Formats: sequence, C-alpha cells, structure tokens
Amino acid sequence: MKQEMTAIITKDLKSIMSNRRMFFVLLFVPIVLTVFMPTVFLLTIHFAPGESGDLEKLLKMLPLSEQALPVNQVFPGLLLNYVLPVFFLIIPIMAATVMSASSFVGEREKRTLETLLYCPLSLKQIFRAKVLAAFLLSMFVSFSSFLVMLTVLEAEMYFIEGFFLLPDAKWLLIMLLVSPAVSLVAIIMIVRTSAKAQSMEDAQQGAVFLLLPVLFLVAGQFTGILLVNGWILFGIGVVCALAAALLFKRAIGNFRYELLLK
Amino acid sequence: MNAVTLSQLSKIYEGGKKALDSVSITLKPGEVFGFLGPNGAGKTTAVKLLGGMLTPTGGSCQLFDINPSKEPEKAHAISGVVTEHAQMYDNLTGLQNLIFYGSVFGLATKESQKRGQTLLKQLELSDAADRKLSSYSTGMRQRLSLARALIHEPKILFLDEPTSGLDPESAQNVHAMIRTLAKEKGITVFLCTHQLRYAQEICTRYGLLSCGKLLAEGTLEEFRSRLCPETKVKLNAANIPDRLSLRRTGNQEYELTLSSKEEIPALVRRIVENGGNIYHVSAELPSLEDIYFALTAEGGKSVQMKEAHK
Repeated sequence: MKQEMTAIITKDLKSIMSNRRMFFVLLFVPIVLTVFMPTVFLLTIHFAPGESGDLEKLLKMLPLSEQALPVNQVFPGLLLNYVLPVFFLIIPIMAATVMSASSFVGEREKRTLETLLYCPLSLKQIFRAKVLAAFLLSMFVSFSSFLVMLTVLEAEMYFIEGFFLLPDAKWLLIMLLVSPAVSLVAIIMIVRTSAKAQSMEDAQQGAVFLLLPVLFLVAGQFTGILLVNGWILFGIGVVCALAAALLFKRAIGNFRYELLLK
Repeated sequence: MNAVTLSQLSKIYEGGKKALDSVSITLKPGEVFGFLGPNGAGKTTAVKLLGGMLTPTGGSCQLFDINPSKEPEKAHAISGVVTEHAQMYDNLTGLQNLIFYGSVFGLATKESQKRGQTLLKQLELSDAADRKLSSYSTGMRQRLSLARALIHEPKILFLDEPTSGLDPESAQNVHAMIRTLAKEKGITVFLCTHQLRYAQEICTRYGLLSCGKLLAEGTLEEFRSRLCPETKVKLNAANIPDRLSLRRTGNQEYELTLSSKEEIPALVRRIVENGGNIYHVSAELPSLEDIYFALTAEGGKSVQMKEAHK
C-alpha cells in the first residue's frame, strides 16, 4: 500500500479517537451489548425460580444436544453461543457506520474533502484508504469487544456457577467471516450514499436499514423462532462478502470529483 | 513549454449555467497571472477545471503537458491549490496538518515536518504551530492554507482569493511571499482575485473576466496603451508663461495631456527655460482598477478591442 494511503488511514483513525462524542458511542454500545446485557442475563438465569416449570418448557424447544446438559449449563451456554453472536453483527455495523460517516460525509461537511481530493492519489485510492480505515476500526472494536465479553463472562460464570463456558465453533465463523463481511457492507453503503448525503446524520440514517435484518435475527433468537446455526451464519457471511465485493466495485465506478464536490 | 494553457475552455453546469465561455490563456513558467473579476465571474470554476475537479464542457486545459481532467493525480502532484472551499482539519494542530498533507504528497514525516516549520516561520505562524486549527482566526487559516499548498514545492500555484480575510499587514506579507516564490523558485502563480489593488502589486500579467468571458488579457502597460494612449500630467508650478498653453486647474496647479510619459522631461525643460518654477510633476496613469472598470463597463467593446489587437 502506498505511504500516502497509510497517512489517510492513520489520520482517519486518530480523528475518530480524538472526537469524544464518537469515541463514547464506540465504547458505550459494545459495553452495553457485551458486558452489561450478558451480566443481566446470567444473574437472571442464576436467580430465576427453578420450580415454575417455564425453563423446562423452554428446554424442550431446544436441539437435543443442548437438552442433555444440566440447566445451570444450558442457559449460559445458550447465551454465549446463540444470543451473543448476533450482537457481533450489530457492533461492527455500528462502528463502521460511525467511522465511515465521519470519514467521508464528515469531511465533505467540514470542507476538508476538497483539500484531500487535490492530493496526488486517485479517487479509487482515496476511497480504498477510507474504507480500509473504517474496516480496521470496526474490526478492532469487534475483536476487543469479543475479548472483553469473554473475559467478563468467564469470570462471572466461575464466580457464580464455579465452572467456565466453552465458546463453540460458530464464533470462528462470526469473528472471521460474518462480522468482517457485514462491516464491509455497512461501510461501502455509507460511503456510497455519502456522494448524495448532505450531512453525517443523513448518511447514518441509511445504515438503519442494514440493522433491520439483524434485529429480526435477534428477535428470532430470543423468541426461539430461528436458532442461528453454523450453516445459517456461513450463508449470511458469504452473501455479505459477495454483496460487499459487488458494492465496492460499483461504488468506485460511480465516484467523480464533480459529484463529490456538489 | 507553457506552464498553464487554457484553450477555448468552457464550462456549462447542469441546469445550463454557463460559468466559463471559450476562455483562452497561456502562462509562461514563473509568471504571476492575475485572473480578475467580480464574484460569480467564473474564476473558481477555472481553478476547479485546472485542478481536474470539473470536466470541461468545451475546449481543454493543460498544466505543462498534463491534461488535468484526464490525469488529475499528475496535475495535483505539480500544483498547489488554495481556495476558500479547501479547508483543513480542526482537530489537528497547524503543524500536524502540514505533516499530514506532506505525507499524502509522498513526503517522509521528517521532511514534511522540516518544510512545515520553515513555511510556518515564513508565514509568521510559528507561535501557533502547536495550536489546534479550531483556535485559528480566518487570516491564520488562510496563511496555513498557503503553507499547505506549498508543502510539496509545486511548480504551479492556484490561489483563489488568498488574501480575503487577511489584515493589510498579513496580506502584504503573503504578497511578498508570492512574489519571491515566482522570482526565486520559478513557481507559476495563477491568482484569482477581485482585490485589484493587491493584484496590481504582484501580478506580471492579467486576464479580466466577466460573466465567464475573458474581456482582456495583457500587462498593465499594454492595457494602458490600448485603453488610455494619452498621459495626463499634473504640475505644481509658478511663473508659467502663457504661451506654453497649460490648463490651469487651481492656484499653481496645471494640467495637460501628452501622448506618452516620455514627453515629460522635454516639457519640464521647456518650462524651466521659459522662466517657470516647478515644485512637483506627476503622470496620472490609470490604475488596474480604472482599467478594470472601463473594461467591465464596456464589456462587448473591450472584447472586440482584444480581438482586434490579436
């Protein structure tokens, strides 16, 4: 990669870190989703009255492999391997949205984009640098959130139940395929709309539509309508990766100086 | 080879607004060209076309042998642009901004820092080097923009109203710098402004633009000889003999019209030889401002004049 592109990536990452409002969003949402919510679930499971019979009814709806385990292991396991993975679709979308809206539309809003366009890089190189900056941040937030979540959850499990939970293989798919692919789709969609969007808010609103299918997945997980298994995740990951590649190609083709500076 | 060439350059925006209408200009390396005209005349459009930000709807333009609309990256590598729309990052300090722009122009961080510090010193911004841009005044931002445009030592500098928002002292400083850049480093300067007095101080040649049309192009002397071929001379003198037929305008104040200022020494000699006492002589030459207003007032006529001159 050219040194000029690295300079843009470094600058974009530094500027998002120095913006308190955005840094707060990047920190707050993952903490709520990966620390606060799992803790509430764990405590609820631990202190829920066992004699109501509701938990047993719920257990019967689960795959046979999950039913074989003792209750105090089943529910934390469900939390870790079925509920929390979906949050790792929300987190990269959120991080990618915040970053790409700031780095492309934000630049246009603050009139710094024109100055950047006068540098000896092609529009394609600038676009790639910006997408890469947003992607790196999004992945950094995702992986850090995963590590924090796992550390907190395992510590809580050990103190509450006296044993550790094992994350299953789905996590590999989530972290290495689905999360990066979803993040790329979000970034490219934001950057694409940035040519038309007049403000960061405009661009961020577009990302809401991306969150809708994810919210359906979350609802599905909680209600038991759809339990996300490895194949579904693999399918989502592949579709998103293909969509990202297609969108990237089309977006680059559509960019013109004149359009960006309108 | 010409540094900048505009040939029959036209730009019509979507919606039909004709911003530039068949403008043809050539600039030699090291020239300071003043592109003058009121707001909305098409100056910024010309800069954007030369910077490859817009595509011409007619004609073409070149920076040396580079066509900016076809090879914008190459055009950017040899040019620096200052426009009011090209801002820098508020969250970075003045020096950090310069280092960043140095890096995107392919300079090593140390080299960018060195050049940045030198430019900040030249533009009297050294004290503010480590202050965030958000605390800069308009004038300071404008000077920093100039430093940013110079960080990669461009061959051509496009300046769109570079001294707007500057106090007279800072404006003088910037002008001195532009003059030095052209004289010592051979940088070609394409200066767009409506501040005619400042333009007269630093430009070697001018193009007068109105409603997208080039009304006239040339040096100040050429404009004067074309528009006002006669020279008005004012005298402060006493004991002027009547036979010299000078027009009296006040107590010891006289006025006459000569065909050129070369005739002034002969006039002075004649007055003195005829017993007159001269205290002050001045040739009233039309300023760039006078010429500009004369041309814009008779736009069509002036265009014809220019064509006839060719």
